[in-house]
Amino acid sequence: MVCDMNFSELLQRVVQDTVGTNPFGDLGRVWQGQQPTLSDGSLLMFLPELIVVGTILALLFVRLFDLDKVFSGQSVALLGSTVALLVAVVQFLALKNFDGAASDAVHKTMFTGLLVYDAFGVFFKVFLLLFLQLVVYLTRLTGLPDREDAPDFYTLLFGSTLGMLLMISSNNLLMVFLGIEMTSVPSYAMVGFLKGRRTSSEAAFKYVVYGAGAAGVMLYGISLLAGLLGTTNFPEMAVRLNMVIGTHPLKMDATLLTLLLSIVMILVGFAFKLSIFPFHFWGPDAFEGASTEVAGFLSVASKGAAFALLLRVLLALVGPTTEQSGLMVPVYFYLGIAISVLAAVTATFGNLAAYSQNNIKRMLAYSTIAHAGYMLMAVGAMLVLLNATKHVPDAQVRWDLATRAVEGLLFYLWVYMLMNLGAFAVAAFIRNELFSEDITDFGGLWTQAPVLTFAMACCMFSLIGMPPFGGFTGKFMVFSSLFQAGHYHWAMWGVLAIAGLNTVFSLFYYVRVLKFMFIAPAKDDARRVKVPLTSAAGSYVFALAVLVLWTGMWGAKYLSATAHDVASVLFP
Amino acid sequence: MNHSPVKFFPVSVKAVLKKYRFDPQNRGLSVDLSSYLLVGAVLFVAGVVCMATKRNGIGVLMGVELVLNGANINFVAFANYTKLGLDGQVISLFVIVLAAAEAAVALAIALSFYNNHLTIDVDQANQLQG
Repeated sequence: MVCDMNFSELLQRVVQDTVGTNPFGDLGRVWQGQQPTLSDGSLLMFLPELIVVGTILALLFVRLFDLDKVFSGQSVALLGSTVALLVAVVQFLALKNFDGAASDAVHKTMFTGLLVYDAFGVFFKVFLLLFLQLVVYLTRLTGLPDREDAPDFYTLLFGSTLGMLLMISSNNLLMVFLGIEMTSVPSYAMVGFLKGRRTSSEAAFKYVVYGAGAAGVMLYGISLLAGLLGTTNFPEMAVRLNMVIGTHPLKMDATLLTLLLSIVMILVGFAFKLSIFPFHFWGPDAFEGASTEVAGFLSVASKGAAFALLLRVLLALVGPTTEQSGLMVPVYFYLGIAISVLAAVTATFGNLAAYSQNNIKRMLAYSTIAHAGYMLMAVGAMLVLLNATKHVPDAQVRWDLATRAVEGLLFYLWVYMLMNLGAFAVAAFIRNELFSEDITDFGGLWTQAPVLTFAMACCMFSLIGMPPFGGFTGKFMVFSSLFQAGHYHWAMWGVLAIAGLNTVFSLFYYVRVLKFMFIAPAKDDARRVKVPLTSAAGSYVFALAVLVLWTGMWGAKYLSATAHDVASVLFP
Repeated sequence: MNHSPVKFFPVSVKAVLKKYRFDPQNRGLSVDLSSYLLVGAVLFVAGVVCMATKRNGIGVLMGVELVLNGANINFVAFANYTKLGLDGQVISLFVIVLAAAEAAVALAIALSFYNNHLTIDVDQANQLQG
């Protein structure tokens, strides 16, 4: 179809697709809260990402022209992330207000089908940009990059976020790899940002070696899949897969082996990004060597983006027409069970290894691994529910059940962002005062800095999954999907039982931190920690703690309803 | 009717050896998709073995480059022989750029590691454990 056009026509089409017919006239309509239409071109839908790019350029120019005496890198970064967040929120509200039922069917593609613009992607844009803003504000409070280094640090931070924004809206196998690499490469540098520290350079070295290896394996898997299907475009993948495999006899021959190998290789790349069991070892080392703020950023943002991308890739493979691709249905069904079992192993491993940790960052890294396991269970449950054709013949019912599973995952991610950032923020403020990251040095903090201790208690109880906090609601939603999936295969009930036991196990090491903060006396030679509620740091962690409580009590209904709407976009 | 866009994939070692055996009567070897895929697979395996066995950090990173180039050969071969078309070539161009960016960052980090440890032996990265 491309071949019968001359070059100028082709160029015309690309320009039309990018800027639209009337680029400037339509800007106003979108600001009035209307949906971008296809004639608006891709740039309008790509506006948050463009603002992030603009901020990166501004940061570099501030450095180049010696303007950092006037505009500090931090204020440029804060301004850029705020504007990008506002635009993303406007986009999300426009998508949501635009006649709820009809907007479910809206899947616009950007840049000739490389990226997709839907409520799911914009929801994650809001998630990532809000988190970016919170992290920028946190680094401003803790003073991680000094005035000299600030433009460099925020360039890396924004570059990494840009990669995540591409990941969450990717619609093409090329964008999958591009997004993952754009996320990873700045993260490697950020982990090694503490110059002249042995542990920091060691952490970055381990991260880059393992990360590059996993990315290479993933790319090889992508190349096999792209060659087998003859396309890299997500919407076409399921159809082609049906053509290649659908009428295939059920035996292990080259085509099926290649397909399975490519899926396993792609999942290896994801398992690395999500620190799933056999590929989790980089996490604790990278987090311990990195500064606390960077560890907090990596533990939430890269996980969230990777889960969004994992959902997109899996759903592109499964496709909307599951009942037709006869041979692949049992394959996906058992793939879902395998992912859930792997998730259960990951959660167990993370929780067991977290026991003996004395460094707060290392403990939180193992806790991150455990939580990635809980969240991966929702993905496994989704695959099982989506492909239980034998038990639930009605496709609509299966899609509803799968929507519930995704809804649980989205809710969990939001709560996880708040509680994990809260825990890392408290750890960063304590490090600034005590110069120590050992849990045993946290004695007597309750009397010295009650607000830090209160916030830490809220975050820890939420991480455990105690009822009034958001962590409980998220876990409950994920576990109920697991229970539902258990009706179709008994293994899911086993996974559910292990997940429940894990929740009990995790109680001990989270409460150990609180034991030191509340009960143990301060060491004699320790500095006194002064972070009152009225200080910026105190109110920051207090606000996070209140938000964690809000997601578990009053906000749970609103957040889960939004998550449900967003999740339903993924299924026809 | 064969729907598969891929012609066939060599999985049997015997068949591959038979195809490429030295045959003085028949000098002309037919080069098709599977030959390219074979080169890509050899590069991939060599890269993985290199990553797994090298103790020198730079050696490990060279293994990563081999893996990426193995995938690149696959992409270009698929671009020529399957419906993937130009997409495959475009992807390989992107991968070349990304590999360069990754190598630059990785070498900078290796240098920083060397500055702190006076070695790039990956076994010396043992301070963070547990």
